[in-house]
Amino acid sequence: MNRYLFFGALVVLALVYPLLVQGIPVWERMGALVLLAAIGASAWNIVGGYAGQVSVGHAVFFGFGAYAAVVVYTHLGWPPIAGAPLGMLLSVILAAVIGVPTLRLSGHYFSMATIAVGELVRVLSSTSDFLGGAQGLGGPAMPRSVFDLSFLSATPFYYIFLAVLAFLLGLTWWIERARMGFYLRAIKDSERAARALGVSSGRYKLYAYMLSGAFTSLAGSLYLCMFGFVDPESGFGILISVKMVVMAALGGAGNLFGPLVGALILVPLEELSNSYLGGRGAGLTFVVYGAIIVIIARFLPSGLLSLFRPRPSKPAPKSEIASGHAD
Amino acid sequence: MLIEAHNVTKAFGAFKAVDDASVTVEEGDILGLIGPNGAGKSTFFNCLTGDLPVTSGRVSFAGHDVTRLPPEARARLGLARTFQVPLTFESMSVLDNATIGALLRHPNARDARARARDVLQRVGLGHVIDAPAKSLGTPGRKRLEIARALASEPKALLLDEAMAGLTPTEVRDAIELVRRIHGDGITIVIVEHLMEVIVSLAQRVVVFHQGREISRGTPREVTSDPKVIEAYLGRRKVRHA
Ligand SMILES: Nc1ncnc2c1ncn2[C@@H]1O[C@H](COP(=O)(O)OP(=O)(O)OP(=O)(O)O)[C@@H](O)[C@H]1O
Ligand SMILES: [Mg+2]
Repeated sequence: MNRYLFFGALVVLALVYPLLVQGIPVWERMGALVLLAAIGASAWNIVGGYAGQVSVGHAVFFGFGAYAAVVVYTHLGWPPIAGAPLGMLLSVILAAVIGVPTLRLSGHYFSMATIAVGELVRVLSSTSDFLGGAQGLGGPAMPRSVFDLSFLSATPFYYIFLAVLAFLLGLTWWIERARMGFYLRAIKDSERAARALGVSSGRYKLYAYMLSGAFTSLAGSLYLCMFGFVDPESGFGILISVKMVVMAALGGAGNLFGPLVGALILVPLEELSNSYLGGRGAGLTFVVYGAIIVIIARFLPSGLLSLFRPRPSKPAPKSEIASGHAD
Repeated sequence: MLIEAHNVTKAFGAFKAVDDASVTVEEGDILGLIGPNGAGKSTFFNCLTGDLPVTSGRVSFAGHDVTRLPPEARARLGLARTFQVPLTFESMSVLDNATIGALLRHPNARDARARARDVLQRVGLGHVIDAPAKSLGTPGRKRLEIARALASEPKALLLDEAMAGLTPTEVRDAIELVRRIHGDGITIVIVEHLMEVIVSLAQRVVVFHQGREISRGTPREVTSDPKVIEAYLGRRKVRHA
């Protein structure tokens, strides 16, 4: 079928991309950055997209992952990637701690609570000597073994990120089709109706939040491995959270490939504007993201991919289903 | 007794929307719950299902004290409901709406889908199974509410004005549907403004007025009860008294 052919072509393209841009560091790096952003946004998508619980504080998990990776190096001398499972575990626990009280809140109140928690953690991290304070911490300057994941080009990272993204999307695809996926969508549409049908909405929202937090944390650890450095702003900064939301929303929140599409558009945009505008581009990022949020909210509430969604094959017979509106 | 409400009171601030209501429903019953607008019928339903916590009193279902249980736990025990204003899962197809209900007893999505299909056929939504739920009009949505609830394979079904807004033909179909559901062994509590519906379905009727029970009996008995007639006709007078 056409759709599978198209999908297969994309997979092949993803696999050979580094070969196509070999020797052009900017584009090698770009590929890896797109995938890393897609991992973060896809992780966010589980709770923010499918379950409709719009967290604007996912940087908490990203920062936990990044700091877990750098802390095991700084304090224990381990390779940073060894901190990834630790970061994921801590993030699951943290998600439970944050989620139990805040997931009860509806809509915007949940979003605001996650912002507050995110900012609180950012401020706390900058006062912690253990985490290197406002200066942050750096990973190994010179690779000691292959496990330090210090590579001259971005291409090895590209393939690592590709594998992680494939796993995450595969997992999400499976959830989408299982009971949990149905329940998350039901909660998003009407939590009250879902509960009346026996859905333990609190439990399912929490599962989604913990899973989402774990993979966001993994994205943070991978970030640290590639960049070798994290400080409170690059780990816990609110822009990290906002980017996840905007990427997912742009492509289509609650859509398997939505976050990837968003990352494919926004990451190159940001990289290019940074390289042309240099340091002056930093403030502009906020403006651009703000503008995108407004545009999505106004014109594209279901994201870009909704423009391509196949229409239902047979429109239902109008006379039978649309009659009797009087109530 | 399948459903027992003992001295249930629900207050919003100082206002008692349900005031000391005690209602019991036996397995296999069809109980009608009637009363003028604002009598507290929906609020009482919400107390039975756990959508609202009671201010005081006790609710038990199928031998369990469920007063402190959340709605999902009561649903799992077999208490299903429809909402007066349908709460359709708007982003889903008609089939997926019913599948959410079916997943309660069939955790495997494929089994639940098959089960949901059966139920949709049974309630007369077979021709719109794959349509987006948001394309349904009010009658379709009300039927979908019933289908979802039935797909959860309940012991009891609470219908909150499931027939409001239907044409006379649709009402007749809906009455038939409720009969069939009852015939499948499901206990029913029905709130309906149309007396025709209550008279043709209910064995017993409880009448609410301003949060209190004012009458009970067979449909014939309550419709000839002067208190009931006064409640319906002389509402303004009664409220000032
Ligand atoms: N959440 C609430 N907060 C405050 N008052 C409420 C709330 N819900 C219901 N009420 C009030 O409680 C009273 C009973 O409302 P309820 O919806 O139970 O009536 P009803 O018998 O279902 O009426 P109808 O036939 O119009 O559906 C009304 O006066 C209503 O305004
Ligand atoms: Mg009502």
